Amino acid sequence: MRFDIRYRLAFEYRNVVRHSQNELRACPLTDDHQMLLSYRVASSPMARVHGFTDYWGTRVDAYGIREPHVAVEIVAESAVETRQRPLTVASPSMAQLADPEFTDIHAEFLAPTRHTERGERTVACAAEIRARGEIDVVSLVLDIHRRVHRSVTYESGSTDIGVTPDDVLRGGRGVCQDYAHLAVALCRELGVPARYVSGYFFAADDATGAAVVGDSAEVQTHAWFEAAIPGAGWLALDPTNALAVGERHVAIGRGRDYDDVPPIRGVYAGAAAATLDAGVEMRLLSTASSSPDQPLPLHQQVQQQQ
Amino acid sequence: MEGLFTDYDTGGFFDEAHDDDGSARSHYQALIAQVGGFPPAELDRREKLRDEAFRTAGITFTVYGETEGVERTFPMDLVPRLIPADEWKTVEAGLAQRVTVLNRFLDDLYNGERAAVRDGIVPWWLIASSDGFCREAAGIPVPHGARCLVAGVDIVRDGNGDYCVLEDNLRNPSGISYVLENRQAMTRVLPKVFANHRVRPVDHYGLSLLHALQSVAPPSASDDPTVVVLTPGVFNSAYFEHAFLARQMGVELVEGRDLVVDDHTVAMRTTQGMKRVDVIYRRIDDDFLDPVVFRPDSTLGVPGLMAAARAQTVTIANAVGNGVADDKAVYAYVPDLIRYYTGEEPILPNIETYLLWEPEQRAHVLDRLDQLVIKPVAEAGGYGVVIGPKATDAELAECRAQIEADPRNYIAQEVVQLSRHPTLVDDHMEGRHIDLRPFVLCGDKVEVIPGGLTRVALTKGSLIVNSSQGGGSKDTWVLAPEDA
Repeated sequence: MRFDIRYRLAFEYRNVVRHSQNELRACPLTDDHQMLLSYRVASSPMARVHGFTDYWGTRVDAYGIREPHVAVEIVAESAVETRQRPLTVASPSMAQLADPEFTDIHAEFLAPTRHTERGERTVACAAEIRARGEIDVVSLVLDIHRRVHRSVTYESGSTDIGVTPDDVLRGGRGVCQDYAHLAVALCRELGVPARYVSGYFFAADDATGAAVVGDSAEVQTHAWFEAAIPGAGWLALDPTNALAVGERHVAIGRGRDYDDVPPIRGVYAGAAAATLDAGVEMRLLSTASSSPDQPLPLHQQVQQQQ
Repeated sequence: MEGLFTDYDTGGFFDEAHDDDGSARSHYQALIAQVGGFPPAELDRREKLRDEAFRTAGITFTVYGETEGVERTFPMDLVPRLIPADEWKTVEAGLAQRVTVLNRFLDDLYNGERAAVRDGIVPWWLIASSDGFCREAAGIPVPHGARCLVAGVDIVRDGNGDYCVLEDNLRNPSGISYVLENRQAMTRVLPKVFANHRVRPVDHYGLSLLHALQSVAPPSASDDPTVVVLTPGVFNSAYFEHAFLARQMGVELVEGRDLVVDDHTVAMRTTQGMKRVDVIYRRIDDDFLDPVVFRPDSTLGVPGLMAAARAQTVTIANAVGNGVADDKAVYAYVPDLIRYYTGEEPILPNIETYLLWEPEQRAHVLDRLDQLVIKPVAEAGGYGVVIGPKATDAELAECRAQIEADPRNYIAQEVVQLSRHPTLVDDHMEGRHIDLRPFVLCGDKVEVIPGGLTRVALTKGSLIVNSSQGGGSKDTWVLAPEDA
């Protein structure tokens, strides 16, 4: 599928801000499953954007505004082509998770982090899943995926950044990053390396559940998770929507948790409270997609503008 | 033996000044003859001279863990430590070799292909789990790969007098100001003794540091790059040193609020307006450098500084993320890293170190906990160190529990019977344990400052020499070669 994506962030301050400095992570990745066709980012007031690729492979746009302002708007526009992912046919055994080479390579995705800490409830929930006695890793991860979807009810604005997987299990409500963090925490607790993915998701359907060319959707940035399957790469699942990650998902970046791939991070100087209005507009341009076995079509190199 | 040295007892330790049979080593004979003959009144006068010198200089340091902000003068012993030219030649070569390799390793990790990990010299999980491994620094180049612009490598001499490396300090090693002030004081307190020895100078340090800092200026800087010293402020224990170094170099001492990032370049506020800054010798920790990237609540740093470093308009020294290479568990791999990057054998060996995540080594260590030294991997300044033979049963039990809970976070080492040095105690000399922190500068070249800070455990029998733990210091005289 081909999408045009327009991600807009608007900060409004109650008083004049003298200086703000931010990092934006909004640019779709190019990897085996998607290809970035164009990308540009612009801010108002204008700022020179310094773009770079961070440790995790995510494109970051750093910019600072050093003039008195009461509002900042930043818009990141991208065009991206996604393709279907092959179904995972591997069924490695649980024992393969303990292979020292496998654990060494994935060390970063096995340790708990701030948003995926192993609280009592999380540990107990993992123990219940373990008790089911799954013998292969893919089944185990699918178990986690379903369990997370069942345990949490989606409720916009129900949580803030900073809640733990235990909080989410206790409250039973959350947003996409809570689903993703809980799934990541459970995977790691069960010895499966797992990572957090920040991205966009095209949520518009027609009555049959199919995406229609020309449709556009007003969405928010989305999050899901990926689990490392021994010998078979990463299995990407979206527990919020109870979906395997596919053509309608556009990844921005991957990391240990939200803190490695926040869409926006920054500081501003001035005694002012801020309100943030953020939204993503995704337009489906084409449902054509290359088969997973064929190479992606070649496109002209697109200059990334700053 | 004369006067002050009457009845001096080496106590079976390696004594810097005396052979096993108690006779003075040849390079100490003149010193012992001169100082040993001081009558009590003379000794008193020299001590007063010393105290006056330090009071005038305003040298203090703050001790953490006691009452908030206790300032003390840093006690310098009257008897200098001597290092003969041939010994120093080996130490110097060993330090240059080690720091060169640590720079290559850091550049490999942050701005290279991680060859040492790929080739199995250091396990990836160890790097990935190090608190000092700073992912925010990945991909930021440093001119000449000089990531450890100032390194302080702590070395000790064991029971046989062999020099070995105790730990590397690659983040913000402090102490050089005491080296320079001790020397200043010593030339006043023992002028004749000093003149009788061919002591290699250290007072060019400020110029050498400035040169090293300017040599890592970004390519876009002018021919005369602007350097500043960035301090957390007057409440920091090493503030005295920050001010001292800025003065020695003739550059501005600034705090975060004095710097601004505009359009990815750093400028400082001056009375003549904004002035571009090319190199920041920062003496604040990574976590506080830039609230956009690190701790958002930090007011000590400069918002946008990391992006500016990435845009290569400014160089931060020491480089961000050096803590991964002075992680005490990574330390254990440094000899292998030296072999890997240079094909040479390490000139200065490590102390035998046990890695506690290895079940066999851990079992061995837990069996002999009361005979070993246990150190947390990420602490500096002697904090959290447990010395088995001196620890109480309760301390050992707590230490055991900590190791079992988080074996990655500790290492164990054999107790080194640090060499001793005659030290003035009341009206006579006694042996006290010492170590040495030499300073190595890396810019476009590597320069080892002759000597360094000799720290002395003033408490009888103590092995803890850290200034923050009640240690003192000695002026360190590296003797010039006879034929030079």
